Amino acid sequence: MASIKLERVAKHFGTKIAISDIDLDVADGEFLVLLGPSGCGKSTLLRMLAGLESVSKGEIHLDGRRVDQLPPSARDMAFVFQSYALYPHMTVRRNIAFPLIMRQFKWWFHIPLIGGMAKRAIERSPEVAGLVEKTARTLSLTELLDRFPRTLSGGQRQRVALGRAMVRQPKVFLMDEPLSNLDAKLRTAMRAEITRLHQRVGGTFVFVTHDQVEAMTMGSRIALMRDGQVQQFGTPREIYTSPANTYVARFIGTPPMNLIEGRIDGSTITLGEINMILPTGLMQIAHAANEPVLLGIRPNAMTLARLEDSGQLAGMVSLVEHVGAESVVAIKLLHAATAHDEEGSVPGEIMITTQGYSDLRHGDRVSVAVDLSEAVLFSRATGAQLSSSVAVTT
Amino acid sequence: MKGEVRQASRSWLPVSRSERAAPLDGSPWTPYLFAAPVVLYLLLFQGYPLWHELMLSFTQTSLLTPTTSNFIGMRNYAELAARPDFWRVIWVTVLYTLVCVVFAITLGLGTALLLNRPFIGRGLARALVTIPWAAPPVAIATIFAWMLNAQYGILNHWMKVLGLEIGYESWLDNPRLALPAILVTTIWQIFPFASVVILAALQGVSEEVREAAQIDGADRLSVFKVAAWPTIRPTVTLLALFVTIWSLRRFDLIWVMTQGGPIGATKTLVIELYTRAFISRELGEAAAIGMVGLTIALGVTMVYFWVTLRAERAEGRR
Amino acid sequence: MESPFPHAIRIALILILLSVASFPIYWMVVTSLTSSANLFADTPQMLPDLVQGFNYADAIKKTDILIWLKNSAIVAVGTMVLSILLAILPAYALSRFRFRGKGALGFMLFITQMLPEAMLVVPLFVIFANLALLNTLGGLILANTAFTVPVITWILKGAIDGVPLEIEEAARIDGCSRIGILLTIVVPLVSPTLAAAAVIGFFHGWNEYVFAQTLVSSQALRTASVGLAGFVGELSTPIHTVMAIGVMYTMPAVLFYLMVQRHVVAGMTAGSVKG
Repeated sequence: MASIKLERVAKHFGTKIAISDIDLDVADGEFLVLLGPSGCGKSTLLRMLAGLESVSKGEIHLDGRRVDQLPPSARDMAFVFQSYALYPHMTVRRNIAFPLIMRQFKWWFHIPLIGGMAKRAIERSPEVAGLVEKTARTLSLTELLDRFPRTLSGGQRQRVALGRAMVRQPKVFLMDEPLSNLDAKLRTAMRAEITRLHQRVGGTFVFVTHDQVEAMTMGSRIALMRDGQVQQFGTPREIYTSPANTYVARFIGTPPMNLIEGRIDGSTITLGEINMILPTGLMQIAHAANEPVLLGIRPNAMTLARLEDSGQLAGMVSLVEHVGAESVVAIKLLHAATAHDEEGSVPGEIMITTQGYSDLRHGDRVSVAVDLSEAVLFSRATGAQLSSSVAVTT
Repeated sequence: MKGEVRQASRSWLPVSRSERAAPLDGSPWTPYLFAAPVVLYLLLFQGYPLWHELMLSFTQTSLLTPTTSNFIGMRNYAELAARPDFWRVIWVTVLYTLVCVVFAITLGLGTALLLNRPFIGRGLARALVTIPWAAPPVAIATIFAWMLNAQYGILNHWMKVLGLEIGYESWLDNPRLALPAILVTTIWQIFPFASVVILAALQGVSEEVREAAQIDGADRLSVFKVAAWPTIRPTVTLLALFVTIWSLRRFDLIWVMTQGGPIGATKTLVIELYTRAFISRELGEAAAIGMVGLTIALGVTMVYFWVTLRAERAEGRR
Repeated sequence: MESPFPHAIRIALILILLSVASFPIYWMVVTSLTSSANLFADTPQMLPDLVQGFNYADAIKKTDILIWLKNSAIVAVGTMVLSILLAILPAYALSRFRFRGKGALGFMLFITQMLPEAMLVVPLFVIFANLALLNTLGGLILANTAFTVPVITWILKGAIDGVPLEIEEAARIDGCSRIGILLTIVVPLVSPTLAAAAVIGFFHGWNEYVFAQTLVSSQALRTASVGLAGFVGELSTPIHTVMAIGVMYTMPAVLFYLMVQRHVVAGMTAGSVKG
């Protein structure tokens, strides 16, 4: 069993608070992704799990056992670094065998000649050699066993780093953005390999990344972090369809969810110049709320028409991008306002995806039809999702 | 000669054929013109003296009449080899050099490791620890001679206070203690340089490899051997070479403190050389001693390069 | 990762180290400010007694220390200036040019690092005697420079390696001569390393002993290193006076070095540390 439990974990560096009050329950065998932008604390949290950073407050439990006071080597966790951190002066074989040799280390191994012989003996012993060979075969590293890291490609080094982690048969695999240093094509291939590895090995994986595509495709659950706090903890599907707040809504999805300012009027919502009837699901929430709201709509939940229709939002095409099977159209709404205030977004602009190659051009006037069936409501004041039950942490 | 992009050479060694380099238009003599002044200067003030020294070593020349020499061939060298106290000089030199290198580098390494982590006042500590290296050797010799003074030196006082020795140790006058005393003084002076160089080299050590080793269960010494040492080893070996050469050359400290005494306990090659030349006034013998010392220095350097090249080739091929 | 090595032990060791490193100099200062009575007392005086400041006035009056310091300064500055002037050209050549004999030049500069001064002083004595350079400060400067030029050439070469070629090529296109480029463009860009080189040259001249002792015999031209060494083992001058002289000789060097040491280290290790 390899369940992880974080209880009120916090970390500060002097006066700077890096992580504040995190509670997470990770089930055995889960593939947890820690997702977030640079500086959100995801790597710090991972390193605290590993024991590379101390815990300022709170507790970490592995299988019910408290581990946050233990040194890294005693936690039965393996760590894969972003830069792989292979031992440059050892062969691949010895890199992979190293943790096993260290496990049997005695103080007198430091004596120059004798220690070297003892270590080599361990390396050649049937158990160790067998495990190394098996790991190498799993990761297709067999021909590379006697090479040195500096002669290997990025992807090969990545696999050696995985091998060095695997060979310890740890309860938990911790990975700090291991795919970030690879080029795009390799990244996709390695993504699949890691997922396959997880299915094969069955341990608990904690994977840090800033790439939401990686998170959505690999994770069984995602913890989206920002400024040291968890914004939402749930399955990819939950996070996608029911984001806990506007930050999550805008982080996940390419292009991200649109947020349009609106006002509730009984059982209808007013967006800019139009008024729409709310679907039953949202109607109950709307009754309870008596504040301005933001309507969250995914880009593929809107359709465009050239005719001006009084029942639909009026807009003007500002940019069209053709992405093969789809087109992404940026529309400036003429009468409605949006809450897109991150870097790189243009206020008042929403993004819509259409199938096929769109004929629209910059400056065209269009009407936007909104499909509310999968829409989400957020409080304009707090940004939190308005609903009867929102899963932030389990 | 025009149009080709030129690359600045970063090699101290002879230029390899793979380097594409062509001077921007201009006379092909320009490099030689640039190099000429220093070459001439060094030839005049080091090359020619060296040659002169070699010639002197085959003669018998008195200091009082430096321009008149009797040619006597290899006799100086033969006499040196026959003299047992010359072999003692070589032994003292070897001992002095080895101990200096080992302790200065070890102490420098320890200091560098201690200073490698941030702490309050680290900048100040790093600056202060280099004071021994900044002080003039003659001044160091003077103060250490006073500290080691038999009757009034502070060292003897502390030893008395700590109950270590009864009576007054006469450090620099005692044949058994003089060399250790000189060694301590020398190591005190040179370890800061070693620590500065090693500290700079430590900056190139990858923190992540260190952490990986810790996670893999390596103890502290293993972490050092696996993560830090491979990176700093080239620097440390080069440093060892320099300290070796300097130890073979060192004169000021030893001369001012003991002049090679007592009874030759601290007489290294250069001390013996100087004594022969300016006290015994035999320039020919002194020159022969100098040649022997130079040969040793060259030998050490060649061994160093051979070992280094072999190690690099082994790593490069794999 | 935070080091597993206990912080307290680290600080304690560092404090011990710093004490060891600074005690002798401290002791030199204390001794220079100790009364004659306390010099030979059973329990030595551990703190400087500022009342004894007149020891310094004494030292200045009774010895030629000021003359010695002046001579040392002349030799130091001379060595500094001459070394840099001589080193700039070959440093540039080794950095920018490719020519037959380049390796030989490098090798030659390296070999000179191995020659002991104590060995070369013998033939230099003879040569200087013939050139009438004995007993001149200029002769000392010339002899010293031969030993500092190789190191200074090496660090300057490293610094010039770091100057982008494009800057020079642009100047070349503008019609600047090679020497002109060197002086007006390259030199200002490597000024930090030049400062390091100046410090190295200065210190070598200031600290130097063998040549100053052997090649110069006149009292009026004596340098401070030789003057100070003359007191070791001699019994007539009081220790606190000797130490006062030692302090006057040492402090300028140490204080100057502390001020510039960051730049010296940077200048010397630029390009030489292997990652």
